Amino acid sequence: MSIEVLKEPSVIEGKPTFVEIDEQISSPIDKSPNIKYLIALGITSTMLLIGVISIGATFFYGIGLWGNNNPVGWAFDIINFVFWVGIGHAGTLISAILFLFRQKWRTGIARFAEGMTIFAVMTAALFPLIHVGRPWLAGYLFPYPNQHHLWVNFTSPLLWDVFAVSTYFTVSFVFWYIGLIPDFATLRDRAKSGVKKVIYSILSLGWRFSNRHWHNYEMIYLILAGFATPLVLSVHTIVSFDFAVSIMPGWHTTIFPPYFVAGAVFSGFAMVQNVLIIIRKIFNFEHIITLDTLEKMNKIMLATGSMVGYAYGMEFFIAWYSGSQFESFVFINRAFGPYAWAYWIMVSCNVVFPQLFWFKKIRRNIPIMFVIAVLVNVGMWFERFVIIVTSLAHDFMPSSWAYYKPTLVDFGILIGSSGLFFTLLLLFIKAMPVISIAEVKAVLDGAQPHHHTHNGGRNGK
Amino acid sequence: MENKIIYGVTGIFDTPDEIISAAKQVKSSGFERFDVHSPYPIHGMPKAMRLGASPLGYFALVFGLTGAFAAFALMTYLMGYDYPLIISGKPFIPIPAFIPVTFEVTVLLASVGTVLAMLFLLFKLPNNSHPLHDTDYMKKVSSNKFGVCIEAKDEKFNEAEVIEFLKSIGAKDIEVIYYDNEALNFKVNIFEWKFVAFLVVSALVVSGATYIVLNKLMFAPPFNWMMEQHRLDAQVESKFFGKGNFSMRVAPAGTVSRNSNQFKFSGQPELADAKLINPLIPTEENLRKGMKKYDIYCSPCHGYYGIGDARLNGQFPNPPSLHSEKVRNWGDGHIFYVITEGQNSMPSYSSQLTNEEKWAIVLYVRALQRAMNAKEEDVK
Amino acid sequence: MIAINYQRKELPSKLMKIGVLLLGLGFILALLGYAIDHERAAFNGVILLMFVMSVGLGSLFLIGLEYLVGADWSVPFRRIMEILAIVVFAVPVFSLPLFANLHSLFHWTHIEDVLKDPILKNKMPYLNEMFFSIRSTAAFVLMFLFWWLLAGRSFGQDYAPTGNFRKVTIRISALFMPIFAIVLTFMAVDWLMSLEPHWFSTIFGVYYFAGTFSVALAVITLFAIYLNENGYLGEGIGGDHYYNFGALLFAFTNFWAYIAFSQFLLIWYANLPEETFWYLHRWEGSWAVISVGIIIIHFIVPYAVLLPQPAKSDPKRLKFIAWWLVFAHFYDLYWLVMPTYSASGAVFGWMELYPVLIALGTILILFYTFAKNKNLLPIGDPKLPKGINFHL
Repeated sequence: MSIEVLKEPSVIEGKPTFVEIDEQISSPIDKSPNIKYLIALGITSTMLLIGVISIGATFFYGIGLWGNNNPVGWAFDIINFVFWVGIGHAGTLISAILFLFRQKWRTGIARFAEGMTIFAVMTAALFPLIHVGRPWLAGYLFPYPNQHHLWVNFTSPLLWDVFAVSTYFTVSFVFWYIGLIPDFATLRDRAKSGVKKVIYSILSLGWRFSNRHWHNYEMIYLILAGFATPLVLSVHTIVSFDFAVSIMPGWHTTIFPPYFVAGAVFSGFAMVQNVLIIIRKIFNFEHIITLDTLEKMNKIMLATGSMVGYAYGMEFFIAWYSGSQFESFVFINRAFGPYAWAYWIMVSCNVVFPQLFWFKKIRRNIPIMFVIAVLVNVGMWFERFVIIVTSLAHDFMPSSWAYYKPTLVDFGILIGSSGLFFTLLLLFIKAMPVISIAEVKAVLDGAQPHHHTHNGGRNGK
Repeated sequence: MENKIIYGVTGIFDTPDEIISAAKQVKSSGFERFDVHSPYPIHGMPKAMRLGASPLGYFALVFGLTGAFAAFALMTYLMGYDYPLIISGKPFIPIPAFIPVTFEVTVLLASVGTVLAMLFLLFKLPNNSHPLHDTDYMKKVSSNKFGVCIEAKDEKFNEAEVIEFLKSIGAKDIEVIYYDNEALNFKVNIFEWKFVAFLVVSALVVSGATYIVLNKLMFAPPFNWMMEQHRLDAQVESKFFGKGNFSMRVAPAGTVSRNSNQFKFSGQPELADAKLINPLIPTEENLRKGMKKYDIYCSPCHGYYGIGDARLNGQFPNPPSLHSEKVRNWGDGHIFYVITEGQNSMPSYSSQLTNEEKWAIVLYVRALQRAMNAKEEDVK
Repeated sequence: MIAINYQRKELPSKLMKIGVLLLGLGFILALLGYAIDHERAAFNGVILLMFVMSVGLGSLFLIGLEYLVGADWSVPFRRIMEILAIVVFAVPVFSLPLFANLHSLFHWTHIEDVLKDPILKNKMPYLNEMFFSIRSTAAFVLMFLFWWLLAGRSFGQDYAPTGNFRKVTIRISALFMPIFAIVLTFMAVDWLMSLEPHWFSTIFGVYYFAGTFSVALAVITLFAIYLNENGYLGEGIGGDHYYNFGALLFAFTNFWAYIAFSQFLLIWYANLPEETFWYLHRWEGSWAVISVGIIIIHFIVPYAVLLPQPAKSDPKRLKFIAWWLVFAHFYDLYWLVMPTYSASGAVFGWMELYPVLIALGTILILFYTFAKNKNLLPIGDPKLPKGINFHL
């Protein structure tokens, strides 16, 4: 019997040629920065400068400049750490997990997302460093052999964080770099000026586009994707362990690991979506970063946002079911206590507004999806605020309760972290191809030979 | 013109279907030393070129298992044997707590190790002086064309025949590639003076910088601000209390400790014997109290019956029996004196017993003495 | 137009015969069990109930997931999932003997004890027989409803396709997902977690979900491979499709281990007696062996077998590991349920076999019966040719 086949939209619209792809993707690198770019860079650099001043003051005068007090010993520092690590997860999900699921629509956005991961993790790594009293002695936190037989506490989740975040950074960087090698080689062969040619030759390691190499290259890509997937799940899981292994009501709950991972993907996708909307407009990448891609990202946001909502519900139910007074109190206090304003911002931004993505019209409307994604990021920042501050401010003994107020230095560092992230992103756009040239070419219509056998490749029946 | 050494012959194709068919034909014609170049990986090319499966999976497995084993062994040694500490009441080797670090190190070593093995061992990169670099062929295959290169090192290579063969399978822009003689003649000299000088200078700079930072900079302001603190350390002369005074000042004359049992007859056992009278009556309740305290504090040395057959036999010198003539003839006050001040090897029990408890013990000791020296009429 | 080559073949009657044999034997053992020791039989009945619920609800979930993500490769297998999902109708049947034995199963039904225990008293608004029954009934009704909406409607599409079927079903799948999450979570909380009513864990629903996904996918894989190897699914299905089954089974083996480890590590680390006792019960006597065994059986072996690339598409290895995962899920449920019945150590005798026999027999019988006169491929689905011609 014969059946009419459904036409599926192309991954890349408009049928560009290979040379056009080379030119379109290299054009931001080839051209000098225009005034819009310079204004954007100026804004982000100013934000970064505010951060540098705030951190400098913190180093000089001490953590007393922050709002941290007893009992709220963790506040903006850890909120920002968790926030930025979470943002990084979308990148790895797009490059690794969507690769494993053979989702071709990731091609246009994978490189950019991986870059965002690296910059987000760099930004996040700042916070554990600056929140210790004497950051210049941070080297002592590493397990180096010494005469006192002093070692780090391998059973502490704070140390697991050190291993997890540094491994995540290293593996993401390696994954990103491996993807860049063929593109650097393409740029090397297109380069006119001697300096650029030398730089790209070094960076490309002399890649020759040999299929003997591509064969192993594809394997390493699969292996790295296969490792990066459990790695990214493990990183935010270990971050969640920072809270969940304690006995604090509101922190000690078994659902934290998958809840944090889902939340990280949720906020990460929101940030990626926001940045991509701006990039595709400025650099005319609309046919590569298509509306279909954006719609699929919104669907993922809807799915992960719902998982976060499920976790909120389960926590609430079990807080009552467990019969623990302290647990029940924490949840009621979150909704109706002194930080209720933060709680309701969190719930509306994370649970209510993303539900609009059920509607196709909204999923495909760029201004609205942009706003929803901004709200998601705000909501996810507030989620970490609610978790950390409300549980610490009102824990077991009422005699220990205290209200937390952030200081200007706290805000300065938060602004600075965004400044760092966006500055690095802007520099990345001008220095390297933000879309993978080789991968995009490989998924164009007509790029691959036609199949003449059923099920070539793997063992059949 | 110098004699140029030939590397190989290249040909260009326009579509992926053509290159697949070309690869198959090259392979089936018996060539082994050849390669296909394309701007992106072509599906089915490894099969067409009959390349074996990639060995990288095994590399990853070996590196990964090594990482897992190394991390777990390191933590077990450091926390279980080198400097065990009880943390949160968990065992010295808490296996569940070791899992996260083990996992991370596994992934780290497997990923980085496999990538480095692939780049350095399999690809022999970095290599920017390969004959194909900077050729028109490379410029085409890195952008929008597909190419085949048959190397001169192949057994069946003959320049004219290969060019004919490539024409026959439809290749365009056939080019002969030569080695760059300068690159070929380049000899790597590991003792090249520039390299050695570079090593020496960087060693000096790095060690110098490390020394200065760790031993000088860290002790200079502002980094040393927390090293000098305004608190009073132990054994240090106090500026606050004036010259000659240390942080732990000597108590002025007549100081009495709080909650102290000031013993009037300290150092005077005969007076204690004569003057002190047991305020407690031998009721059952008092005797039970005395028994309880005696069993706790006195029995380790004196034994449960005061004979001196205690369980500390051998570790501490056994005390003489409490049933001797001498002790039986002591007054209650003398026994109280011994408990309060101690005697010979016996320490003072003032810090552990209140006066009332001591008197209860005295009652009990008297009861024991009566029991070990009972007369017939006691049984009636 | 792409042609697909499918001829309907009726399933062999020996499937029914084996099913009847298994079900019959299991039924006899169950009857004997309830007669001799109704408490132990009831606990085994919980294992049976939750296993069949996993397979049925899990199949519905996989169908909904396929529609929502727009997967191509699984379209040829969707009919198998739709037929398999019919087992949700057997779930209420298996719950009946349990409702008759609630007092043996659940300590929170012992009202005098509950009233003396402030923690249990606090839970009474939720843990009482009336509300418990209402919840289960509502869950069953929802399962039936969504069986019809997600699976039942699709059979008519074979010969009278409606243009907007896929669009409507996608919407139904979207509606189904949150309902699935709530139904699955509360069934797990009610029938498994409340066996030890002092204990609580927010991740418990996710844990049961991980097992459900694995076992549903494993059963579907088994049907898919057996049917394909014997020519029931036409031509064109092969290694590339199997690879996806293998990869998903591998991924969810990892997921199960991740959830199980998270739950354990957090409770172990914080060391709160109100939580640790549940794990300590599973360390008592021979339960310790069973607990270590679950790591090996549910994680290490499937991980090692499915790790190599070629293993994921090899039908022999896939069949082996799919059977393995079916029994791993029984093992998991046994480890969840039985320590409440037998605290001092594991008990295993002929009675513990009846859930396995009844479950497998029921699945075979229901599948065979319902598949009569039905196509085993969703031939009315416009995505089917793409699904059959799927290549990695």
